[in-house]
Amino acid sequence: MSESVISVSELTRRFGATTALASVSLSMPRGAVYGLVGANGAGKTTLIKHLLGLLRAESGSVRVFGLDPVADPVGVLSRIGYLSEENDLPGWMRVDELIRYSRAFYPAWDDGYADELRQTFALDPTAKITNLSKGQKARAGLLIALAHRPELLVLDEPSSGLDPIVRRDILGAVIRTIADEGRTVLFSSHLLGEVEQVADHVTMIHHGKIVLSAPLDAIRDSRRVGERVPSLDEIFIALVGMAAAPAREA
Amino acid sequence: MRSPALAIAWEFRQRHRWGLMAVAGYLLVVATIRFLILEPGEPVRVDSLRFAAVVSVPLTTTFVYLLAVFSFGFAGDLAARQSIYPARMFTLPVTTAALAGWPMLYGSAATAILWLAARLLAVWPSGTEIPVMWPALLGATLLAWTQALTWMPYGLPGLRVIVAVLCLAALDTVVLLAIHYNVREPMMVAVLAPQMPLAYLAARFAVARARRGVVPDWRGMFARVGNIADVLTRRRDHFPSPARAQAWFEWRRHGRSLPALVGLVLPFELWLLWLAKDAPAFVFEILFLALITPPFMAAFTAWTVSKPHPNVSDSYGVPPFIATRPLTSAALIAAKLQMAMWSALAAWLLVLVAIPVALDWSGTWPVVLDRAQRLNDAIGTPRAVVLVLLILAGFIVSTWKQLVQSLHIGLTGREWLIKGSVLLTLTFLILLGPIVEWIIDSPSVQRALWNALPLILAGLVGLKMSAAAWIATRLDRRRLLGDRAFVVGAAGWCAAVLALYGVLVWFFSTSFIARYVLALVAILAIPLARLSAAPLALAWNRHR
Repeated sequence: MSESVISVSELTRRFGATTALASVSLSMPRGAVYGLVGANGAGKTTLIKHLLGLLRAESGSVRVFGLDPVADPVGVLSRIGYLSEENDLPGWMRVDELIRYSRAFYPAWDDGYADELRQTFALDPTAKITNLSKGQKARAGLLIALAHRPELLVLDEPSSGLDPIVRRDILGAVIRTIADEGRTVLFSSHLLGEVEQVADHVTMIHHGKIVLSAPLDAIRDSRRVGERVPSLDEIFIALVGMAAAPAREA
Repeated sequence: MRSPALAIAWEFRQRHRWGLMAVAGYLLVVATIRFLILEPGEPVRVDSLRFAAVVSVPLTTTFVYLLAVFSFGFAGDLAARQSIYPARMFTLPVTTAALAGWPMLYGSAATAILWLAARLLAVWPSGTEIPVMWPALLGATLLAWTQALTWMPYGLPGLRVIVAVLCLAALDTVVLLAIHYNVREPMMVAVLAPQMPLAYLAARFAVARARRGVVPDWRGMFARVGNIADVLTRRRDHFPSPARAQAWFEWRRHGRSLPALVGLVLPFELWLLWLAKDAPAFVFEILFLALITPPFMAAFTAWTVSKPHPNVSDSYGVPPFIATRPLTSAALIAAKLQMAMWSALAAWLLVLVAIPVALDWSGTWPVVLDRAQRLNDAIGTPRAVVLVLLILAGFIVSTWKQLVQSLHIGLTGREWLIKGSVLLTLTFLILLGPIVEWIIDSPSVQRALWNALPLILAGLVGLKMSAAAWIATRLDRRRLLGDRAFVVGAAGWCAAVLALYGVLVWFFSTSFIARYVLALVAILAIPLARLSAAPLALAWNRHR
């Protein structure tokens, strides 16, 4: 087995009386696409924030590339591409300024690839971020997350703001490309159908606890009823109950 | 709760119940002192320090608190162009008149009740004639105008603060003049009463505009300047390092605010020079006003510099975009410090260009030259030059200091700490006046303070160095600063202290001031503890 890109051990996090993560343990080897799924409020973003060092582990430990992301933010963050759920790119910047600014932080930044992505995403370099549509902002965020060819790409609910066709094409291509190059992707979503299309490995989280973590094929095989292979939606509902089922994408 | 009026009242009460209970508790304490501790009928001296400590200071603090509560100042961003009236309330099925009217009515009633209760409990019988109606009306009027002016959307960032301060100061000046000339109560009421409906109409207009989403944008008026600034600061080449990229980010985000504000205010101040041709004293007052403008404005812009998320008015957390920059917290702070330095220098460049031009055009140069010649004759050319340079450097450093000295509070992202420090600062400022007056009025206190000055300074130095040592230990333990940064920072600080000490010794070569006192002053003057705490504060916020 290859070395773990992400290693989380007995991680617990509370916000007041609410337990957001309860003794979560997780290990993600290099070179695959991991789908982190769960209902809204299940703890996906809280877990991702721990991986990025935005939250400090109250108990347990978090290691990314074998480093503590709180103690060594530069060592960890320079190797990660991150697309935030909040998509809080500075509105006053122009697209070309955003690219130049982001480029300074990543020694491995690939100018050719950045330009290719900009053209693929049809982003006007002189446009101000604040004037971009929600979908275009997500594309700009994706561009700066990808252009330095990160060892680990973390996409936190990347689907919001992208229309279904672009979403499927872009995310599918990006995630496959990165996985093929031996890089790792952590893809969080509550839209299970989307995760099912691209993930090699699925981790289901519910009320701060991991209820299932296994390769997608193994999950399907273990839940097979005769010839019928259940969808990830059905498996999730069976595991956590109807009340917690995430929305099925229209 | 079926009435919008009750719902709005409930929100004020629920959100600020602890503060309002503290106000009620204070009035209870004052009532206890008044009725149980003081002798019945014992007159209260309203000019005494005890009165200032027990009544004037808490009363003023409470009034400021009520201003903030009823104008939604705790939730909004005063420096933003948008109205600080909570946008969530615009979708309520109530009229604009109700949205503006109920908070104004509650606020006005609260301030009037505060005055009437304080007057009844604290200063009766006072031995002096204390008016009943007009101070209550003044409080209500000030609150109503504060609401109207803060709820109004503005065309420029920061303009709200300037307009509000100027308008309220003007109203206050009128009242102070009226008191000075012993204007009778009916006249005061006649002046103040019409203000209420006027303020209500202004508030209603402001809320209506904000509700329609009207936010004027006057930045276009400065388009030419903005374009020049854009051309100057727009990056067309690559940044040589992450630190340079972050410094550029900070400059574009916050750096231009201070020069813009100074540039906005300065022409109005210097225009007064044309009126002061025959009054040399007035010329120097105007020049002093112009010189204190950058540090004064810096105190306002510092609020946005230290706010981690300037676009979101009620969020104190570091936005993920910044938090996930592969930079240490110390490097993020270094970029802020660098931006503050450029911002202060740009503001001072404006001042240093504008003042000579205004003096020349207004024909007041001779007045200044004459005073400079007299200074030269009195203390000699080298000392005069050093004095002027020292004053200038002091102003520039103080502008920079104003911009960065609250970083260690604002960057913590803890609302209770930020708002607590604002309250403490206000209380300190309110206390400062009576204390200074007390010192000025008491020669014995002045003598005692002068004798104890070395001890006081030594105590402050001890406090500063202890805080710095504690912060340095924390920085080291959390590995927020490398060994090289520690050594360079400490060496730089020591060099600055020594340089200032050298200048002070050279300038104040007198037997009245011991050299160790000058050394203590130099140590206190060069920032250390609060600046060093900024990376700790940011790390506390960034890694929650």
